[in-house]
Amino acid sequence: MQENLRQALEIFIARQAGAERVEISESKLLTGGAVQENWLVKGQIVGGKHAGALDAVIRTDSPSCGVAVSHNRAEEFALLKAAFAAGVTVPEPLWLCVDKAVIGRPFFVMRRVDGTAAGHLLVKDERHGGNRVQLLEQLGMELARIHSIRPPRADLDFLEWYEEAPALHAVNRFRRYLDSHSIPHPTLEWGLRWLERHAPPRGEVALCHRDFRTGNYMVDDKGVTGILDWEFAGWGDPLEDIGWFCAKCWRFGAKAKNREAGGVGDREDFYRGYEKISGRPLDRDLVRYWEVMAHAAWAIIAIQQAERHVSGEEKSLMLALTGHIVPELEYEILTMTEGA
Amino acid sequence: MRDQPTGDLLLETARDLLREEIIPALSGNQRHAALMIANAMAIAMRQLQSGDDAERQELAALQKILSLPESGASLSQSLTDANRQLCRLIREGRADAGKTHDEVRDLLLRTTRHRVSISSPKYLDNPA
Repeated sequence: MQENLRQALEIFIARQAGAERVEISESKLLTGGAVQENWLVKGQIVGGKHAGALDAVIRTDSPSCGVAVSHNRAEEFALLKAAFAAGVTVPEPLWLCVDKAVIGRPFFVMRRVDGTAAGHLLVKDERHGGNRVQLLEQLGMELARIHSIRPPRADLDFLEWYEEAPALHAVNRFRRYLDSHSIPHPTLEWGLRWLERHAPPRGEVALCHRDFRTGNYMVDDKGVTGILDWEFAGWGDPLEDIGWFCAKCWRFGAKAKNREAGGVGDREDFYRGYEKISGRPLDRDLVRYWEVMAHAAWAIIAIQQAERHVSGEEKSLMLALTGHIVPELEYEILTMTEGA
Repeated sequence: MRDQPTGDLLLETARDLLREEIIPALSGNQRHAALMIANAMAIAMRQLQSGDDAERQELAALQKILSLPESGASLSQSLTDANRQLCRLIREGRADAGKTHDEVRDLLLRTTRHRVSISSPKYLDNPA
């Protein structure tokens, strides 16, 4: 990190923490998503009620532009605060800075959490995340706590509001995107028509994480240490998150029947944890509907990612290859809707 | 006539060298990047090898289902146009039931299976 940025951060944190001064002794760019940059900062806070070690992550907007639908840092900060207050295991959000003058773009500071989020490690090795029954129960409980956040919420008024059934709302959004795309996707259209015809009516709407899956929660050897990546959260049908978590496309290749929940464990353990907190039984059959939705949603995102490469907006082999996941997602949609 | 070895064979040979000699010597981000490169080369290789037979069959099936005349446009343009019409038919519910449903389902299964065999053939080997 450049000297002037470090100093600007030290001054900002000292003011926010009511400290005498802050000394950053170590900073490092972490491998982050395509949408943001994450910096690890370590050092000392001298004086004030936060006095002691500074061990935090600075999350900034990426200098290149990101996915259009994702939240900005101020919004993500509000989501993290809401989740933290609802008892969800998240990195504690500390301070937000929307003033671009400080480091050139908005950012917030959150407490660092330990562990790994790498999906392929979690699926292979129980040392990451610990006992599978407990891990899955814990994940279910975490998700139910997220869904305990209900509208209306003045602090989350930036989230899109709509009156139609969440499933139909998603189908319409996907269709609008496909209409704007240069290549027709009849198999995806087939899936969307099925999703339209079988759409559940609007029930109680809750805060959905919208990317709650293996790879987006951090674990140590005992269990979950943090639910990450809140940039797609919005009001929706709680089952959307359940379907996303359990969908075959997010199992990292795990095939066993008792690994259908995120590729790491048994659905029933996950469901049990969820029901324990929500106090209501989950409709197992409807989860399957939302797994079809998950494949359609991921296919749309994959098409968008590939388009960023194809249009020249951001040349990247990773984005280019993501476009080649679309056929298997579409194949899965056909299999699920037609029993092929 | 194209000079030998043709592009698909070049890709195959280059990819074998990458996998046998280069990737084992790499670690971390470089290894990850090299694996992505090998994967991209494999997709391109399979695409070249498969030619356009499957696409011609796809167009013929589309023309039958949609009662389209043979078009003078290029294969890719004809496929784009016909598939747009198919999308409209599906969205309007005209393939929800009956003979059209079955015909469209069979066409989509065939074409999607073919696309998977190009992009990620292992997916078809191991149905979970």
